[in-house]
Amino acid sequence: MSAYLISIATFVGFYMILALALNLQWGLTGMVNFGIAGFFGMGAYTSGLLTVYVGFPFLAGVASAGLMGLVAGAFLSMLSVRLRGDYLAIVTLGFAEIVRLFLLNEDWLTRGPRGLSIDVRPMSESFDRNEYGIFYLGIVALTVLIVYFIVEKMRRAPYGRVMRAIREDDVVTETLGKNAFFYRVQVFSIGSMFMCIAGALYAHYVQSISPDHFVPMVAIFIWMSVIVGGAGNNNGLLIGAGVVMLILEGSRFLGDFVSFVDAESLSAIRIIFIGVLLILVIRFRPQGLLPEPKFQAPVGIKTTRVN
Amino acid sequence: MGQILFYGLMDGAIIALPAIAFTMLFGILRFPNFAVGTFMTVGAFIALTLNVTFGAPIWVAAIGAMAFTSVAMWLSDVIIFKAMRESHSISLLIVSIALSMIVENIIRLFYGNDVRGFELPLERPIKFAGIKFTPDQLWIIGTAIVAMLLVHALLKYTRLGKAMRATSDNFALAEVRGINTNRVIGATWLLGGALIGLAGVFAGVDLVIEPQLGWSLTIPVFAAAILGGIGSPYGAMVGAVLVGIAEELTGHFFEPSYKVGVGFVIITLLLFFRPHGLFGQPEIKK
Amino acid sequence: MTIKHTRRTILKATAATVFTTAFIPNLVWANGPINIGSLTPNTGGGGPFGPTITAAHKSIVDRVNAAGGILGRRVELFQNNSETNPETAIRAARKLVDVNKVKAIIGTFSSSVTLGIMPLCQEANVIQMCTSSSADIPAKDKKGLVFNFQALSPRWGKAIADLALSNGYKNFAIMALNNDFTSSMVNSFVETVTAGGAEIVNKPFYYNGGQASYRAEVAKLIEDDPKAVFIPSYVTDFTAVYKELYRAGYEGKVFTVSIATGSKFKKAIGDAANGILHGLPVPPLESEAYKFYLKLQGLEDTGNMQHPFGTAGMDQISTLLLAMESAGTDDANEAAKHIWKVSNPNGERVWDVLEGIKLLRAGKAINYTGASSEIDFDDEGMIKARHFQLWEIRDGQDVTIERIQS
Repeated sequence: MSAYLISIATFVGFYMILALALNLQWGLTGMVNFGIAGFFGMGAYTSGLLTVYVGFPFLAGVASAGLMGLVAGAFLSMLSVRLRGDYLAIVTLGFAEIVRLFLLNEDWLTRGPRGLSIDVRPMSESFDRNEYGIFYLGIVALTVLIVYFIVEKMRRAPYGRVMRAIREDDVVTETLGKNAFFYRVQVFSIGSMFMCIAGALYAHYVQSISPDHFVPMVAIFIWMSVIVGGAGNNNGLLIGAGVVMLILEGSRFLGDFVSFVDAESLSAIRIIFIGVLLILVIRFRPQGLLPEPKFQAPVGIKTTRVN
Repeated sequence: MGQILFYGLMDGAIIALPAIAFTMLFGILRFPNFAVGTFMTVGAFIALTLNVTFGAPIWVAAIGAMAFTSVAMWLSDVIIFKAMRESHSISLLIVSIALSMIVENIIRLFYGNDVRGFELPLERPIKFAGIKFTPDQLWIIGTAIVAMLLVHALLKYTRLGKAMRATSDNFALAEVRGINTNRVIGATWLLGGALIGLAGVFAGVDLVIEPQLGWSLTIPVFAAAILGGIGSPYGAMVGAVLVGIAEELTGHFFEPSYKVGVGFVIITLLLFFRPHGLFGQPEIKK
Repeated sequence: MTIKHTRRTILKATAATVFTTAFIPNLVWANGPINIGSLTPNTGGGGPFGPTITAAHKSIVDRVNAAGGILGRRVELFQNNSETNPETAIRAARKLVDVNKVKAIIGTFSSSVTLGIMPLCQEANVIQMCTSSSADIPAKDKKGLVFNFQALSPRWGKAIADLALSNGYKNFAIMALNNDFTSSMVNSFVETVTAGGAEIVNKPFYYNGGQASYRAEVAKLIEDDPKAVFIPSYVTDFTAVYKELYRAGYEGKVFTVSIATGSKFKKAIGDAANGILHGLPVPPLESEAYKFYLKLQGLEDTGNMQHPFGTAGMDQISTLLLAMESAGTDDANEAAKHIWKVSNPNGERVWDVLEGIKLLRAGKAINYTGASSEIDFDDEGMIKARHFQLWEIRDGQDVTIERIQS
C-alpha cells in the first residue's frame, strides 16, 4: 500500500508542477494554455531521446527539456498571445495535437507509435524497488518546491504586479509604459519550461513513453486542478492537484467492492462519477478551494477581480 | 480536384449546423461549449434507437433525434450552466468537458462500445460532370442547406430571431432594451440542440455510430465557428465549407497522417492575420 | 511565503490521499486468495474489444472458484479500465501491483499500454499477458514474464499476403491505421507480395483514427485503380473507411484483418459488406476450445469469426491458472516457467480449465489448446499462431476461403 501511495504522490508531483506552470500563465497572467500535453510530451521526448541516443546524463536531459520548453513556449506565445482567451485555448490545444502528430508520424526521430523506452535514471543501482520509489518522489518533490518557490517569488515581486495588471487589463498596462507583449512571452515561456521539465521527470519515472501518453486529457486534468484549487493561488492548486488525483484514482477502487455491475459498466460509471464531482466542485466553489489572496495593493490603487 | 471540392462541401454540410449552434451559444453565453460533439453523438444514438429498434423511417428518426437533443441541451443549461452565468468562461469550458465525459459514458452504459449503423443500405455512387456522389450524400447536403435557410429566416424575420441577434451583439444593451434575455438563452439552447441533433444523424449516416462519434467532429466544428467569427451564424456556414475543403485537400495532396491537425493550423493562421475571424466583429474592450 | 509553509501544503495534499485510502480495508483474506489483475481497454480506442476480454476473464475465474479454486485457494480477480491510455494505465497498474498485490496483469490490449506498464511489472516480478503486437515487447522483457496472445503483426502481414497471392491477386494499394500493429504488418505484407511477383501501386500511407472524414484518404487509395486494397485497421475506423470506399464506387477486392470486421461491423454495414476478405490467426480446425468459449459466454455458433480478443482473454486466464496449479505456487517467476509447460504440445489436450486442473492433480502432463489459437509459445513468450485463416464475407456470413498452417 505504501509503495502505491508513494507512486501516486509522485504523479501528484508531476501534476503539481504542471499546475504551477499553468497558474503562472493563466492564474496570474491570464494566458490560456490548453497545450499542456504538448509541452509535457515534448519535454518527455526531448530528455528521453537525448539520454537514450546521445548519451546525455539524467540532469542534462532534464535541463535540455527545460530549454526546449523555453524555446517552444516563446515561439508559440509570440505567435498567439495577443489572442483572446477562448481563441488561445483552441490554438494551444492545436499546438499539443500537432506535437502529438509529430511524435506519432516522424518515426525516424521518435520511433513513432512504437514508443521509446528509457533506461536512464539517476542512481538506479543504489536502491531497491521500494527505496527507489521514495528516492524519485524526493526528486519530484524537490522540483515541486523549486518551481513553487520561483512562481511564488515572481508573484510577490513587482513583476507579479505587472502580470496581474496584464491579466486584468493589458491596455491600461501598456499605457503605463509596460510592454505587455514582452511580459506575456516571458511568462508563457517560463511556464512552458516548467511543463517540459515535468515531462522529462515523468519520462524517466515511467521509463516507457509513446505518443499515447500525451493526449489532451492530461491538460484537462491540470486545468481542473487549477480551477478546483483556486486560480491565482499557488497553495490552492497544490491541493487541487491532490484532489483531482484523489478523485481519479480513488474512484478506481470502486471496482474492488462493487460486484453487482460488470466491469464494462463500472468503467463508464467511474468516469461519470469523476465528471459529476468536478462539476459540483466548480459549481459550489467557483473561486476554488483556496481563492486567490487579495493582493495587497499599495495605498491609493484599487484592484479589481475579473473572474 | 472537383471530387475533392465536393468532398469538402460534404464535410462542410455535416459540421455547418453544429458550428452555427456553437457560435450562437458562444455569442450569447460567452464560453466555448465542448459538449457540442457529445450531443451530436446523443442525436445519432436517439435516431439509431428510433430507426433500428422501433423501425421508424430515417426522417422520422431524425426529427425525434432533433427534439430529444434539443431538450437535452436545454436541460444541461437548466441543471448546470444556468447557475454559473457569472463564472469565468474557462471554468465553463472545463464544466462543458466534464459534461461531455458524463454524457459519453451514459451512452456507453446504455449501448456499449460497439459500432452501429442505421437501417440504410449503402449506395453506389452516381457520376455526374466527373464527380461521384451518392444519394445519401446529396440528402445530407440538401437537408443542411434547408436547415440553414430556416435558421436564416428565423434570425432575419422573426421577433425571436431579432432578439437573438441583438442579445448576441450586446447582452447588456439587449437587456436594457427590454428583451427577455432568459427566454432568448433558452430558445438558443433549444435551437442549437435541434441543429446539433440533426448533424448527429448526418454524422451517423456518414461515419460510424459509437460513443466517441462526436469527438472526432468537435475540432472541425470549432475551427469552422472561429473561422467564421464567433457569434456569426453566416460566418460559421462559410467556415464549415472552408474547413472541410482544407481537410480534404491536406488528406489528398499532403500527408493524411497530419490531417487531424489541419483544423488547428487553419485557426492559428487565420487568427494571426484576422483575429476576429472572417466575418466577426472586433470585440469592444470594456 | 516560506518554504515551510509549502511543505505543509504538500503534506496536506498527501494527507488527503492517505485519508481516503485508509478507508480501503485490508485486502488480505483469511484463506489467502490468489490475486490476479485484469487491465482491459473498456473505454477509448480499444473500447469495442475490452469488454469481451473482461467478461472472459471473469467467467473463467468464477468457474474455477465454484469448483474450489486452485491450490486450494480462491482466485481473486481485480478488474480495472486502462482507458486505452498508458498515462492512466500506469497508475491503474500501480494500484493492482502495490495495493491488490496481484501476481499477474492480464488483458492489456494496446502496445503502448503493455509497454507502458512493463517497467513496473518487471521491477515487481509480475506476469504480463497481453494481446499487443509490438516487436519491442519480447525485446523489453528481461525476465521472461511477458506472454503475448496475439501473433506479432509481421506474421499477419505475411499470412494475409500469402493468401492474397494464392488467390491470384497481383496488384495492390495500401493504407493503414496509424499504429504499430499495422505499420509492421504493412511492411511484411509489402515484402511478401513483391517477392511473390505482385505489385504495390501506391506509396502505403497512414491515417489517424477519430477523423471527421476519410474521404480524401479513400480517394487517394483508389486513385490508380488497384485490383485490390489492403487496409489493416480496427473496427471503428474501418467501418467509416469502408463506407466511404463503397460510396466512392470501388469495385476491387478489399483485404483487411478480421478484428476490423466483427459481427457488429456486418450489422452496421449490411449487404455492402459482402466480398470483403479478412484474415486472423485461428485455433485448429473444429476447435472444441472455441465452442467451449461460445458456450461459456452464452453465444451461438454462427459460423462467423467472433470475439478474437475475448477468446484470447479466456486463454490468458486459463493458462495462467493452470501454470500456477502446475507450479504448485502463485509465485510469478515459478508460474511463468510453467506457462510453457502447460501449453506447449507434450501432454493431453485440454481447453476447459477445470479439466486441466483435474489432470494436473492426477499428475498428468497437459497441453492447453486455446480458443484464440493453439496456444504454443516460443522462447520469448510470443504466441506461435500456426494456423491462419482467410474468410470472405458472403451474404453477411464469414465463409472460409483458405487456411494455412506453418
